[in-house]
Amino acid sequence: MNPVYWISGLFGCIFFTGTVLADAPNEYVNYSDSGHELDFPAYHDPLDELDIDKSETRYQFERSSLRALNVQDPLEGMNRRIYRFNAQFDQHVYLPVVRTYVWATPKVARKGVSNFFNNLKDIPHLGNSLLQGKFQRSAETTARLLFNSILGIGGIFDVANSMGLPQQPEDFGQTLGVYGVPPGPYLVIPFLGPSSLRDGTGKVVDWAIEDNVNYMNNRDFMNDYQATWGIWAIDLRYQTPFRYGALDSPFEYDQVRYLYTKLREFQVDN
Amino acid sequence: MPRKTIRICTGLLFAIAFTAQAEQFDYPETNPFMATVAGTPNELKVPVPDEVDVQQGDLAVRVLPDRKLPPALSNYRDLHFRVAWHDEPAPLIFLIAGTGSGYDSSRMDYLKRLFWQAGMHVIVLSSPTNHDFIAAASNSGMPGMGAEDARDLHTAMSMALDKAQDEKGFEVTEYRLAGFSLGALNAAFVAELDTHLGQFNFSKVLLLNPPVDLYASVGRLDDLSYTRIPGVSDNDSFYEHIFQKLSRHFAQRGNSDIQANLFYEIQNSPEALSDPELAMLVGAVFRFSAADLSFMSDLINHGGRYVPADKELKVSTSLTPYLRRALFCDFSCYINTQLWPAWEALNAGRTIDEMAYETSLRSLQAFLHDSPNIAAVSNADDLILTQNDYRFLADTFGERAYLYPHGGHGGNLDYPQVAERYMDFLQGDAQ
Repeated sequence: MNPVYWISGLFGCIFFTGTVLADAPNEYVNYSDSGHELDFPAYHDPLDELDIDKSETRYQFERSSLRALNVQDPLEGMNRRIYRFNAQFDQHVYLPVVRTYVWATPKVARKGVSNFFNNLKDIPHLGNSLLQGKFQRSAETTARLLFNSILGIGGIFDVANSMGLPQQPEDFGQTLGVYGVPPGPYLVIPFLGPSSLRDGTGKVVDWAIEDNVNYMNNRDFMNDYQATWGIWAIDLRYQTPFRYGALDSPFEYDQVRYLYTKLREFQVDN
Repeated sequence: MPRKTIRICTGLLFAIAFTAQAEQFDYPETNPFMATVAGTPNELKVPVPDEVDVQQGDLAVRVLPDRKLPPALSNYRDLHFRVAWHDEPAPLIFLIAGTGSGYDSSRMDYLKRLFWQAGMHVIVLSSPTNHDFIAAASNSGMPGMGAEDARDLHTAMSMALDKAQDEKGFEVTEYRLAGFSLGALNAAFVAELDTHLGQFNFSKVLLLNPPVDLYASVGRLDDLSYTRIPGVSDNDSFYEHIFQKLSRHFAQRGNSDIQANLFYEIQNSPEALSDPELAMLVGAVFRFSAADLSFMSDLINHGGRYVPADKELKVSTSLTPYLRRALFCDFSCYINTQLWPAWEALNAGRTIDEMAYETSLRSLQAFLHDSPNIAAVSNADDLILTQNDYRFLADTFGERAYLYPHGGHGGNLDYPQVAERYMDFLQGDAQ
């Protein structure tokens, strides 16, 4: 009746459909064999937004990767042999044992076992946090030890984690790193894998700390019941996600060496 | 008058709203680089069983009895593969991994569980470009030619199947075939080959994010490794740059407890990786695959490009010097310096474009168009496709082209809307 309504209505209509249409992607229409229309989303090239170096001296990848290969590894020949030994031990012995363990036990039991051994490791974590002067972290680790050992029934439940206190590993290799000790030569340790002179030494010290503290008499107990060392070893592998061959490269040794070195630098800094 | 207008108007709106609703694609990651690197967030993936709950095992077959390998690489003498099986008779699907990935990569493990869960036996094979396949199953030791790779794969598949059935004793009702990325292109060539051999008579073939023109696609991936990154000068290391970001993130966060969804956590922090950085990461991973490929291929063919022909690689021999040199060879370099001279020697007078055409899906266009049992899944923002490649998929596969507006290179394959559709195709009766 009133042309104003009519016109404004039409405008509104155009406006609305316009908005809706603008939202719909600009589609690529195609026809099927039977003749009906097929809608395909419009192509867009993600590379368009990148600034790709076309110069002759575009060596960013090479420069970065070559630097990553500069790791001090004077014992490389021996390390490579041990690396191969570890890989074969893993494939033929260690992993099959872990698979049997997984097959034979429920997840909740495995979790309890891992929690138990992790709780014991909080002893060297605490010692090293203190040595590095990280007092807040030391307090948190102390709280973890108390909550988990008491409320978590000797560490079987990681109640502290659910309370917002995740485990914060600190080992003696990191402590040495914090005081400026360089990693030294790269080492591959039989059964245990990648390490360095500094970190290998650190492992021995951490071991001695656990031995001497003998928290909840665990060392005495484990030495009395030697089979518990077997469970300890199985759990150690069960908790390690690394798989030989997972990097899908004939240069796996080189890549693992770099990643290990970076990971440790990273842990020392944090 | 106005009432009529309103009615038409509402009708129009409803129609549009309805189609938009029906077609709506709600995969959350719209950034192609993020999707490619991180895939679907865990909580939105199609749920699959845990690895320990899948009846599966790794097996190995000796495909090339005469192949000599030095001690440093002796673990690749046999071709290793993974099989997941059911006790009841069921269809078997072969799954082929993408460029430079092995049968045990995490993407393959996910797809394996998805297929296994749907009731199929699954055999997973490494990509013919992966170092283990080159060493153990590539006749020429020089992958990258569609037809030759298909012959190698077909042989490997037959042998793997025999071995798996011998060892595990399962029954197969029909054969299917799937591949991801370059593995999808391989699958298309294998399917075509099998129509001449009549051995498997694949009831379904599924191409997940295939390249169309292989050499163009690898050129695009090579390009990613030349991305300029703001803040990384001509003297900086790109990896150090990324590690510094991570380090700052952790310093800010206060503890170094690494969570499973670390990547999403970082992407939601001030230290989030930018698109050029993500692109460079994809490019770098790919360059390492290219280095592996170039090194392995040269070694098998005694080309002397990296390892002197008379040098034996012992377990204790450092391979680092060879990696240093192989790093300079991107995928295009491999094609130009290794593949092309070998091909030209057998095809005098023909051009490199003809070689490229032979390994592109374009050379199979009629076959792919006319085979109702072959479908392709891809995205409008897949990093490996040019606009023409994308159109080729739409034109060739028509109704069997499942093309989505976003998801990068394979980022949405585990997203329900996408996975359900291709699983329906695999399981469906339409031959």
